[in-house]
Amino acid sequence: MSIELGHFALVLAFALALVQMSVPIIGAQLRNETLMRVAEPAAITSFMLVALSFMALTSAYIQSDFSVLNVWENSHSAKPMLFKITGTWGNHEGSMLLWVLILVFFGALVAFFGRNLPLSLRANVLGVQGAISCAFIIFILATSNPFARLDPAPIEGRDLNPILQDIGLAIHPPLLYLGYVGFSIAFSFAIAALIEGRLDAAWARWVRPWTLAAWTFLTGGIAMGSYWAYYELGWGGFWFWDPVENASLLPWLGGTALLHSALVMEKRSALKIWTVLLAILTFSLSLLGTFLVRSGVLTSVHAFATDPARGVFILGILVLFIGGSLALFAWRAATLTSGGLFQPVSREGALVLNNLILTTATATVLIGTLYPLLVEAVTGDKISVGAPFFNLTFGPLILPLLAIVPFGPLLAWKRGDLWAVSQRLIWAFGGALAVALLALVLVDRTSVLAALGIGLGAWLVLGAMTDLVIKSGLGKVAPSVAFSRFKGLPRSVFGTALAHAGLGLTTIGIVAVTTLETERIVAMEPGEVVEIHGYNLRFDSFRPFTGPNYTEDQARFVLTRVTGRQLGEIVSSKRFYTARQMPTTEAGIRTLGVSQLYVSLGDQTPNGKIVVRIWWKPMVTLIWLGALVMMIGGTVSLLDRRLRIGAPMPRKKAALAQGGQA
Amino acid sequence: MLFWILAAFLTFVAAFAVLRPFAVRNGQADDAPAHDIEVYRDQLDEVERDAERGLIGPQEAEQARAEIGRRILKASEAADSQAGKRNASRRVTQLTAAIAVLAVPLVSWGLYVFTGSPNMPAQPFHARATEEPANAPIDELVARAEAHLAENPDDARGWQVLAPVYMRIGRFGDAQTALRNIMRISGDSAEMQSGLGEAIVGGAQGMVTAEAEEAFNAAIALDPKEPRARFFLGLALAQDGETEDAQAMWREMLADLPGESPWRVAARQALLSSGDTSVAGAETAPTGPSDEDVAAAAELSQADRQDMIEGMVASLDAKLQENPDDMDGWQRLIRSYIVLKRPEDAKAALERALAALGADAPESQELKAFADSLGIKSE
Repeated sequence: MSIELGHFALVLAFALALVQMSVPIIGAQLRNETLMRVAEPAAITSFMLVALSFMALTSAYIQSDFSVLNVWENSHSAKPMLFKITGTWGNHEGSMLLWVLILVFFGALVAFFGRNLPLSLRANVLGVQGAISCAFIIFILATSNPFARLDPAPIEGRDLNPILQDIGLAIHPPLLYLGYVGFSIAFSFAIAALIEGRLDAAWARWVRPWTLAAWTFLTGGIAMGSYWAYYELGWGGFWFWDPVENASLLPWLGGTALLHSALVMEKRSALKIWTVLLAILTFSLSLLGTFLVRSGVLTSVHAFATDPARGVFILGILVLFIGGSLALFAWRAATLTSGGLFQPVSREGALVLNNLILTTATATVLIGTLYPLLVEAVTGDKISVGAPFFNLTFGPLILPLLAIVPFGPLLAWKRGDLWAVSQRLIWAFGGALAVALLALVLVDRTSVLAALGIGLGAWLVLGAMTDLVIKSGLGKVAPSVAFSRFKGLPRSVFGTALAHAGLGLTTIGIVAVTTLETERIVAMEPGEVVEIHGYNLRFDSFRPFTGPNYTEDQARFVLTRVTGRQLGEIVSSKRFYTARQMPTTEAGIRTLGVSQLYVSLGDQTPNGKIVVRIWWKPMVTLIWLGALVMMIGGTVSLLDRRLRIGAPMPRKKAALAQGGQA
Repeated sequence: MLFWILAAFLTFVAAFAVLRPFAVRNGQADDAPAHDIEVYRDQLDEVERDAERGLIGPQEAEQARAEIGRRILKASEAADSQAGKRNASRRVTQLTAAIAVLAVPLVSWGLYVFTGSPNMPAQPFHARATEEPANAPIDELVARAEAHLAENPDDARGWQVLAPVYMRIGRFGDAQTALRNIMRISGDSAEMQSGLGEAIVGGAQGMVTAEAEEAFNAAIALDPKEPRARFFLGLALAQDGETEDAQAMWREMLADLPGESPWRVAARQALLSSGDTSVAGAETAPTGPSDEDVAAAAELSQADRQDMIEGMVASLDAKLQENPDDMDGWQRLIRSYIVLKRPEDAKAALERALAALGADAPESQELKAFADSLGIKSE
């Protein structure tokens, strides 16, 4: 019964979303407070209903109720409990329900924390959120209902795709969706502003933390997805320029741009119209990502099912929201007042440059992602746009951006002094140069490119630290004063520094692993030893092992330094999932410092040996540690109390009005 | 019924959420410029804090203050001009409220009727796996046996029961796993090796692959007369185009297999279809499934099913002899014997259970009551 109750709750949430998208917006048009106030309880109740619905589906997964079609298709009674739970969203229907759950969760948060927003803005924002929920819930009910039943019910399920039976599934999709859907709030604020024809002062202050939160989650989601692919797919690649990955990178680039332009808007009331446009574009890119991944246009581990009806439906949603919002923008943008003048050389100017480069980079990735699809649709030819295209286009755009990042936070608002900033950054520049030279001399004397890349990463990290040093006045005032000033710095300053430093760490990781990686492919039998990068790897044993829903052949390796120091065991295996009849490779990975040794098993040779691939991946973990530092930066910045705005009290208002006139 | 009550309750909650703002009078006016002014005040405070900390110079602070001051002034003017603009008519409000509140139940119940299956009960795996085994469909029995083997992977008897069932229902990969497990536990045998070969052939849509050939050769090495291995090795030759060698092999089989062996029929048919008509009519070769065959096949699967249940029961019995404290196990065993219509065995099991648990133990009392309910009495 609980499964049917979950189904009913979802249908009810749809009915409520209909009310939420119409009544408050009508109310805002008529300036009717009562109608506007319907938005809040509707949003909060919607969230509770969808949560109930999601819990019902999860409990069907936990109990292996194969009378639910979705559970039968994607679960198995022998699956470990964690993967039963995560399997809830390890499929198309369940993941769309998670999408909607997060959407209404954000809606409820706006309703709950938005009490100090102007009533009409709040009503419009929640109305737009309601419209999005409506579209996606009806999409679920019409084309991908996770509550469809099977009668008679089969006794055993078909199991989940083995690649998805991993802890990564517990983290990657929820984080990614929190990111994707988080941008819907910025979108709703943008549409609300366009409907009202005015931008409240609170607008940017509201949009920025939501964008920041979404950006933080998206950063985590992308990094987690990348690490997952790295260890699960068995050959240690961390980014493939695969359309599905690009689909998540696009809103990230847009969101990064939005984050920076919202900053200008909040501080200086400038770039208003541009910020509104960016908010629309960023969420449109999120929708596009959802479309690309969910419609079955792309075949990958993410395309759980290919069903043309779904593709057409999401395309409809896409056209409606992107087309509708851009049309509204074209029609109403002129009513928004722009403001705030600034010199080209200033913090604002730097952020505009940042936005120009980021949006151009976004466009590049968008073209690279969509072009092959368009060609296939028009001519039927399959072409592949891969790493070479992106290295040639995205690379030259993003490298200069990285190089100028440290200047931004040091420039003053309104008008800045580039020469003075350069002088302040001289130490960071010297440090980065030293790092590059060290990398050239000590690590690899042949690769100038690697040295320059690592130097660039170091420049970002040192530049971010310089910002903190200068803002706390270290070296100018007494150390104790500097320390207390350091402690008193606004959290967002730390957030900026951490995010930029994290970017530097990721850059170092990417450059190091792409230029300095070494690889050995050898056929081995137990007892043999192979040497790689100063380590000895001895193939110890090869034996079968039975897991809960798979069998595997485990190869155990003993790792020692060339000097003889024992470093323990690495286990790498080839698994076979019986229910799906699918083999997977489980790589053996050992982290040594920030570098990793990656051992993956290949096929058996005719003479009974096993092909073993061993990679030495220098500083590879920095790629994801950098993303983690960026996430910490985002979180720290979110905790800045300056982002909290007080609500006007009636008494104060009167006093203020007088003060303003005086 | 409970479902409809809960559904009605949810609908009520949702409708109430929509209605609440209409019921609560909130006279407080809400105008946007006041909010703006609040934000600007925050910004002024922030400028003061930054100036105190020395993050911005006094001149910059002064400029910022002036700029924010201008914004406050503008917002105050807007606030004055907006005063007096108020609400739409009562009728519009009431009409909208009525439509909205009616839409919630109408839309939700209307949609659910089309998409839902309100009368279908949940069927969690655990509940189904523990219910009576009689009359359960074959896949359910397989699932149950699998669950048992997942816990006791060294139960060779269980794998032996499952392997032919897997072959019959076309789960060749699982059949291979089962046969490999049997050989792991009870050692290599020609029959199992040739069975494994057949499972591999089944998995390869009838092609005798190198891997299958390896298994058949292993079987021949253990027992040179193993008929199944010989038949498939012949088939391998035929598939390689070496028809004559294949025919020689099958003819050799016909020569030395006992008359009642089913493989004689297979070999003869293979010879016939490979173009060797010399064996036609020598024995009555079946020309396709007769009614009897169909009936026999049905019989066979029924027998298989019975076989399987008995196999499971036997393994459970053996397990209980080693581990007699398992109360649930005894109950299951007794119930199984009842289902198999072997009341004597059920009674014997009860006696053994009572002896093992101790006649006065509370478990024994409980077990007695349980057996009593199934119509089994202990002396």
